[in-house]
Amino acid sequence: MPTTGISLVREHTLQMQLPRFLWVPFALGRPFGASNEPDFQRRVLRSALELFEGHDGPVVLADFPDDAPDSTANDEEEAIWACPISFHPPAEKLADLVTATLEEIERLAPWHEIYSQRRGMVAVSASGLDRERVVKILGQFMAGETSPEVEVDGPIQEWLRLGCDDLRTWYLEAAQGQPGRGSATALRDWFWCDTAAARLIGAAARRLLEHPDPVVQFLAARALVPREYLPELMPVADASEGEAKEDSRP
Amino acid sequence: MVRLADIPEVEREHLLAKDCTPFDSRPWAVGPALAERRVAIMTSAGLHRVGDRAFSVVDLSYRVIPGNIRADDLTMTHSSLHFDRVGFREDVNIVFPIDRLRELEDEGVIGSVADYHYSLMGAGWLPHQIEPTMRELARLLREDAVDAVCLVPV
Repeated sequence: MPTTGISLVREHTLQMQLPRFLWVPFALGRPFGASNEPDFQRRVLRSALELFEGHDGPVVLADFPDDAPDSTANDEEEAIWACPISFHPPAEKLADLVTATLEEIERLAPWHEIYSQRRGMVAVSASGLDRERVVKILGQFMAGETSPEVEVDGPIQEWLRLGCDDLRTWYLEAAQGQPGRGSATALRDWFWCDTAAARLIGAAARRLLEHPDPVVQFLAARALVPREYLPELMPVADASEGEAKEDSRP
Repeated sequence: MVRLADIPEVEREHLLAKDCTPFDSRPWAVGPALAERRVAIMTSAGLHRVGDRAFSVVDLSYRVIPGNIRADDLTMTHSSLHFDRVGFREDVNIVFPIDRLRELEDEGVIGSVADYHYSLMGAGWLPHQIEPTMRELARLLREDAVDAVCLVPV
């Protein structure tokens, strides 16, 4: 089957000697460069497809020449974006994290409503759990429960991961409803560094490292908190712990 | 501008430690002129229709995305936390450029858009583990008369 493709990590594509790839200098998660930039996206796609013509194989690796349009405009301003809403100081007791997170949700809710009205849609709940329920379940895990009752089917590792995703997505949507425009990095830093929700996820994940099910332990160590925030949010589980024998980490 | 040098060190080290051994063979499949080709998109972004089953933490299955889907009817349940999702929430085409592909069809740049596109969740497995899935997808693509696939990472 003839293929072409987008490469986000040039080093990987170069090593693997693959047919027809277009390397693009864009952030992970943004293979076509920028949102709501149809002309630019079309240029990237067309450049990848045009590798079907005028090249001899078996290996072609071309470089897209331009940076994404929103990676330079207002870069400095977007990078220093801070959520205008002041949350309470970090909860001193772990037990207070649930309350603090529920308060954050209450304060962010109007901005999420604005985001929803502006977009005409919001992300659906992939876990089947509402966000307040996810917060309370995280509190139960943090308190040492290993199998709290939930209203959805499936193993813990699936609904817990999706529930945390839902919660994070809701926060980021609420942040995008506010005045100003933060870069993707600024929004990510805001969530993981400045919210009680992130500290709650980290505290629950830290406790789940001792869960009787090794699959849940794996989830807690690898798939609830990004590697770069582990030292802050899960200080006992830094990135070097429990390296997989095969490089198959999410 | 984002290159490996621009991302956090822990992420850079993780990416550079990946095993990227070349495959045993290097096939070079050819076909007609681009303006005559039928094009499908295959994404590893963990996308699927809102009502479809979510991807698992480690998942070797795939989801079918109909060619006539509205971009807003897609959601993402990728298990990795290590890439931006803000752009996807603003515009699905930043990850899955289905609207752009239709425009290229209208302009005559490509022959046609495939009836079906495919999504995988590209984390947690090694290339040899996904091979059976990819062989099945290749058969489905052939049945759809596809002769050009655009592979899109996330």
